[in-house]
Amino acid sequence: MKTPHKSQFHFDTTLVLICLALLTIGYIMVVSSSLHLGLEMSGSVFSYPLKQLAHICIGVCVGAWLATIPMHKWETAGPWLFIAGLFLLVIVLIPGLGVKVNGSVRWLSLGGLRIQVSEIVKIFAVVYIAGYVTRHQESVRVSAYGIVKPLALFALACVLLLLEPDFGSSVVIIVIAMGVMFLGGARLSQFVILLSFLATLAALLVYFAPYRMQRITSFRDPWADPLNSGFQLVQALISFGRGEWLGVGLGNGIQKLFYLPEAHTDFLFSVIAEELGLLGVVVVIGLFAMLVWRIFKIAEAAEKAGQVFSALMAYGLGIWFGFQAFVNMGVNMGILPTKGLTLPFMSYGGGSMISMCCAIALLFRIYSEVYEISANTPKERSRWVNA
Amino acid sequence: MVDLRNRSNLKERKPAGDFSSRRRFVLVFMMSCMIILVARAVDLQVISKKYLKDQGDMRHVDEVSVSAYRGMITDRTGAPLAISSPVQTVSVSPKQLNAIDKNQLKALEKKLRKSQQGHALTGVQKAEVLAVYEKDKVLKVKQMLKILGLPASEANKLLNKTSKFAYLAQRINPIIADQVKALELPGVNVEQGFKRFYPTGEVSGHLIGFTDVNDVGQEGLERSYENFLKGLSGSKRVIRDGQRQVIADIENIKEPVAGKTLELSIDQRIQYLAYRELQTAVETHKAKSGSIVVLDAKSGEVLAAANQPSFNPNTKTNLKENLYRNRAITNIFEPGSTVKPFVVAAAMDGGYIRPNELFETHGIFPIGTHMVRDVHNYGTLDATGVLKKSSNVGVAKMALKMPPEYFWDTYHKLGFGVSPGSGFPSEASGSLLDHRRWRDFDRATMSFGYGLSVSALQLARSYTALADDGILHSISLLKRDEDIDSKRVFTAKTAKKVRAMLETVISKDGTAYEARVDGYRVAGKTGTVKKAGSGGYSEKTYFAVFAGMAPASHPRLIIVVMIDEPSAGDYYGGLVSAPVFSKVMAGALRIMEVAPDEEHTMPILLTKKGVIRPHAAE
Repeated sequence: MKTPHKSQFHFDTTLVLICLALLTIGYIMVVSSSLHLGLEMSGSVFSYPLKQLAHICIGVCVGAWLATIPMHKWETAGPWLFIAGLFLLVIVLIPGLGVKVNGSVRWLSLGGLRIQVSEIVKIFAVVYIAGYVTRHQESVRVSAYGIVKPLALFALACVLLLLEPDFGSSVVIIVIAMGVMFLGGARLSQFVILLSFLATLAALLVYFAPYRMQRITSFRDPWADPLNSGFQLVQALISFGRGEWLGVGLGNGIQKLFYLPEAHTDFLFSVIAEELGLLGVVVVIGLFAMLVWRIFKIAEAAEKAGQVFSALMAYGLGIWFGFQAFVNMGVNMGILPTKGLTLPFMSYGGGSMISMCCAIALLFRIYSEVYEISANTPKERSRWVNA
Repeated sequence: MVDLRNRSNLKERKPAGDFSSRRRFVLVFMMSCMIILVARAVDLQVISKKYLKDQGDMRHVDEVSVSAYRGMITDRTGAPLAISSPVQTVSVSPKQLNAIDKNQLKALEKKLRKSQQGHALTGVQKAEVLAVYEKDKVLKVKQMLKILGLPASEANKLLNKTSKFAYLAQRINPIIADQVKALELPGVNVEQGFKRFYPTGEVSGHLIGFTDVNDVGQEGLERSYENFLKGLSGSKRVIRDGQRQVIADIENIKEPVAGKTLELSIDQRIQYLAYRELQTAVETHKAKSGSIVVLDAKSGEVLAAANQPSFNPNTKTNLKENLYRNRAITNIFEPGSTVKPFVVAAAMDGGYIRPNELFETHGIFPIGTHMVRDVHNYGTLDATGVLKKSSNVGVAKMALKMPPEYFWDTYHKLGFGVSPGSGFPSEASGSLLDHRRWRDFDRATMSFGYGLSVSALQLARSYTALADDGILHSISLLKRDEDIDSKRVFTAKTAKKVRAMLETVISKDGTAYEARVDGYRVAGKTGTVKKAGSGGYSEKTYFAVFAGMAPASHPRLIIVVMIDEPSAGDYYGGLVSAPVFSKVMAGALRIMEVAPDEEHTMPILLTKKGVIRPHAAE
């Protein structure tokens, strides 16, 4: 891939391999868990697999285009993007524009493609917070105001997300913001205060919306009410138990056949557990761990190269991937309350797949730029990039 | 990863405001989270797997029953009267039917592409292919409806439905179902089952009864012998998906055990003959209904039992209780004069009349304020004459000579007012008033068959006491070698004497000359019974009854014919029922290969050699 002013685009082979592995496993599992559903919903087994393939293609194309944009442009565009994100969050709430599924208005329909707005907002949030901390490094490090100011904007986004309602995504962007600020050098004492404040806020949110309370209690003991609030989780846990060491074999799962709801989206990990067993589960967890590790390495390199914005971007994206993957897998295994978060690169869904591809494209861009800088400083080159 | 090796180098270069410890903290924290996930996965997939798998099995695994083959019902020769045969049920998922099968569509497109040397199809051509595909499907649906005998108008309904399930045809011939299968329409499924068939249809419908859609006996012997016939349904373990559809069989838990074959005492040939003759008689005499029972005089086995009106158990359309009631076993009537031989036999056995005692009848006999009347004044009659002329006065006088208890006991022994024990559902026991409540006039009316009631089967049974030299047999609808429950009611001598008297009934001046059978001596008794209505006995409506046996020398068969309300003119038992007896008896004796005992009345057969008598060698 060529960019207008750089002679070459440097790929991070490790990151490419990790992403390809996740995409491939994810796609195969989406196919396996959606065949019966496609037949049921639209009379064709190919309906979901083809759509997901389209999502991946669009994701790769958009990502390829994004990778051509230099990082400094992102830095300046940050605030505008965040405002655009807020705008999208407002639009989706306007009756008639947003698409309602399962009681939540989270989607915008674009020419047959359904995009979950919060997925785009997550990227914009990373770009914005990384830019903010880069620009206001001093104030973030010394004053409480420096932290509260961007968080106020995030709080606004959270309120809009909660109106959809999308509790999971609001938690994700708060975690991203906090993580980026923490790694950007915010004072620890302020963090403690902030964390306790957020804990109180979260407690209040749970208190005022009973369905969240229900989700929380159901995850702690799904067997207490296995037919209602605990239904999905019980089915997910059964999938894990049935999988044992090596799984029942690809395509042989029973749980996906109208027992486990959302098997091809949020609960894809359970299908992996049933069909590929502990082996498959450990491989997937390992791949996500490697992904986070590699992203942090890129961030570290960017930091060394003096690219503060790029480094914070990478941290933000790494935290996003890591946190979302952890929450999704944790929900599947019943150690976290049900959030409605997808498994990055794996779950079925247009918005999620495309925004994840975009995020990875940004990381490729960061790597390429950092590599270029390192290459121009011969001493540095051998220090971090050998591949 | 390569980077790890360089970590020490990186640490050396620590710029101001370096937060690498924070980075390491976050990274270690996130890696710990991943390790927690792995630990939890091990917990679920290794440690708790037994519990979770059991929970899963509880939800997925189900036991379903496998229906057993219902036993056959045959007649005494093994001819089938009820058989379960495999049938198929055709159902459709309109939703699947109406979805476009993309593979089939692609195959059509490919075919067209090949025909034009691989040139890509234009949009118009694609639309054409789709139209052809749709048209073909509509055509096939119409074909299917035609095969199934459904109206073609159903096609539009079917093609516009979006529901998931509908029956198209239930329990149909597998050949038809195979034709439907061959059309390979999407969403059309064929399922295997059993259906009960009754080869003899209405001829033995009353006896056999029928089953319901679940193959459970509802009427007749299908109901009585339900447990014997039904067998034991087996069961198998299957896996169901979340929509409760069976997706796989795991194992057979229990093989189904087929029901046993029920062998009836019925002889289908006699049954058919009896049914046909009864039907003709009921139609000719414009009667309300009719029953006929044929008994084996030596074993008490029921060889035939038919009724009119009848029904076809195969179709069961417009089925009313009136049609499927087995009148021969469940309906009761006053037997009238047909019980007179028993009065004579009882009086002779008890020594209440002398062998040649004469009775002055005068045609009228007052008892208290009541009158016993005869149709004509027969003058002075001996016992034979009383039976031959069927004199009410004669038997009434005999009855009055007997103590009520003795008289009652004879009737009771003959099975009147007692269940005949055929095992048929809602079998009638009839009624016999207790002798302590009898007045003299009751004793008199009892003697000519009023004031008690019996079923045709009970009446036929009581005649075994006369036919088998005084021994009353129990009744059986199942084939058996001998009757282990027989009992003596009359002495052999008396029974033979009364039988000889009853032969005179069939003589030219008896009441039932029409009952004669060429080549055989026949003994029998007519009964023309006034029907009891709300306002007492009617003078216009009658039961025409005939009970008899043949050959009279050694009776093998007993036949009772009862025709309810003949209204075409004749109503005498001797004119309405006796001819039915004659025809059925003649046929049945031939079927049973019973030797004739009266050669001079045998029909003459002409051969080339001249006139010979059949069975001359016997």
